[in-house]
Amino acid sequence: MGGSSLRVPLTLVAVAIVFVVGAVAPTRFAGDFVLRLANEGLLLGMLALSVAFLMNQAGLVALGAASIYGGSGLLFAIAMNDWNLTPVWALCAAFLIIVVYATVLGALIVRTNPLAFMMLTLAAGEMISHAVMLEALRDYTGGADGLVVSFKGTVFGMEAADFASPARFWVVMWVAAWLSGLALWAVGRSRLGAILRAVRENEERMRFSGFDTYLPRLIAYVLVNIVAAVAGLLHVLNAGFVSPESLGISVSTNSLVAALMGGIAGSVGPLLGGVIFSFAQDEFGARGLTQLLTGIAIVVFIVVFPRGVVGGLSSMAWLRKLGFGGRRETS
Amino acid sequence: MLKIENLSVSYGSVRALSDVDLEVLGDGILHGVIGPNGAGKSTLLDAVCGRRRPVAGTVHYRNEDITRRSVAWRRRQGMARSFQRTSVFQDLTVHEQLHLVAQHLGDNRLDDVIEVMDLAGYLHQKAGRIAYGVQRRVDVALALIGRPHLLLLDEPGAGLSAAETLHLFEHLRDLVRERKIAAVVVEHDVDAVFACCGKVTVLDLGRHLATGTPQQIRADHRVVAAYLGTAA
Ligand SMILES: Nc1ncnc2c1ncn2[C@@H]1O[C@H](COP(=O)(O)OP(=O)(O)O)[C@@H](O)[C@H]1O
Ligand SMILES: [Mg+2]
Repeated sequence: MGGSSLRVPLTLVAVAIVFVVGAVAPTRFAGDFVLRLANEGLLLGMLALSVAFLMNQAGLVALGAASIYGGSGLLFAIAMNDWNLTPVWALCAAFLIIVVYATVLGALIVRTNPLAFMMLTLAAGEMISHAVMLEALRDYTGGADGLVVSFKGTVFGMEAADFASPARFWVVMWVAAWLSGLALWAVGRSRLGAILRAVRENEERMRFSGFDTYLPRLIAYVLVNIVAAVAGLLHVLNAGFVSPESLGISVSTNSLVAALMGGIAGSVGPLLGGVIFSFAQDEFGARGLTQLLTGIAIVVFIVVFPRGVVGGLSSMAWLRKLGFGGRRETS
Repeated sequence: MLKIENLSVSYGSVRALSDVDLEVLGDGILHGVIGPNGAGKSTLLDAVCGRRRPVAGTVHYRNEDITRRSVAWRRRQGMARSFQRTSVFQDLTVHEQLHLVAQHLGDNRLDDVIEVMDLAGYLHQKAGRIAYGVQRRVDVALALIGRPHLLLLDEPGAGLSAAETLHLFEHLRDLVRERKIAAVVVEHDVDAVFACCGKVTVLDLGRHLATGTPQQIRADHRVVAAYLGTAA
């Protein structure tokens, strides 16, 4: 039909409009408070994205996102404060160390089965978050007080005050979220993605088909940690501060919950999940019932939207039954 | 093509294969392996393809000792196998999985495989959704990709009717003859084996009992006593 040749450019135009409007509109119409929550939501969303990608493509659940997220921020602060690097070099150094760490850790753990993998990411994350609190390292890490991160000059053309401004930072976050979402989406659709999914499904048959099943998983693991590290660095640039809590287990579990809420099969779901989670936490916190209401929300989400918000909306089975959403997917 | 010497394999304290010697030539004939349940037939294929490390003995493939090589390496060198319990990618379409493997092994004649295994009508269905007998053919098709020199097939007829099994064996016989490759086929359906294999090996209790032409095997009184007596 003639319509299908038009549909691709139309989709592209729609996506471009969403991108531009999403970058600009909130800075005009939303207050600082809402923007702060949205920024936090997208940061969490990027972590959720990394967790979801590994789950969806490789069948591996990682519980160590926080150590990468908080760790990269901490390294950035240390690189500036103690190693006297310029902000840009400090970012590069922190990023590089995290990539090396993720590669070494990944090399050790992606070989194991999914349950062992989960436990090992948890153990490694907990080790890092406790090591940061060690008295002997206090001069470096700031212990329980955390570290103030202030820099002079500019990073990518922005001053410290720009990163701290919720409206300016929103634009940065929006672009970063899109880039990481698109990057992981592209990887998922590439040959590497196809190999990862096939390995997830039947690792042995892949080996018996001549594939190395180890390297693809290691690459995926490093890749998602790069996304988490970028989120961590953006977080400290915005907050001007690294707290030891940013390495804590609750950041890891929150990102997992956000991923499940949004839906793990794609890039929109986890990012949206992060934003929903951030606003919900604030709403629940205002009532002083954060934990309880979060728990209830998780149960409701998993029961009502087992494939997450995006997964649930995209199938729309119940809407179709009622006669809405006329166009049926043919695949 | 394949030379097995003094091969022994254990599962913990269970000795599944002891001291097996076997030579398989790349002469375009099907080499059948039969024997009672638990005789060690699957274990033999596992040791040859690298799924199980033998506790003793060697495996030579194309004049090279490959006893310590990885499964993936062996596959890339043209040693392919199918599984007794079907092992396909349930969640991928038939075409997706065949294509993925063909791309990796640099095989641009995927159509041949699809034709030989008669899968043209199922290409765009997920493997988990098609009938079991067709899944068996996908399993064998995955092994045929990349023009292997040595095929190891573990009960390709499992779950198929006697007529279907015979039909599959005839297909395999023709294919192996045409390509002049080596093929080891484990099968419990002795009629299909005797009808289509040029050579037959009998295993019993982890030991090599006899190897010969179907006529020789049928006439071997040890084989008849251990296995065929009841089955034929
Ligand atoms: N994974 C395993 N763990 C322990 N014992 C096994 C395992 N696989 C096979 N065996 C034992 O090894 C022997 C040979 O098994 P197998 O090679 O599967 O026989 P066949 O294929 O001829 O039926 C049997 O006694 C079986 O119980
Ligand atoms: Mg068997």
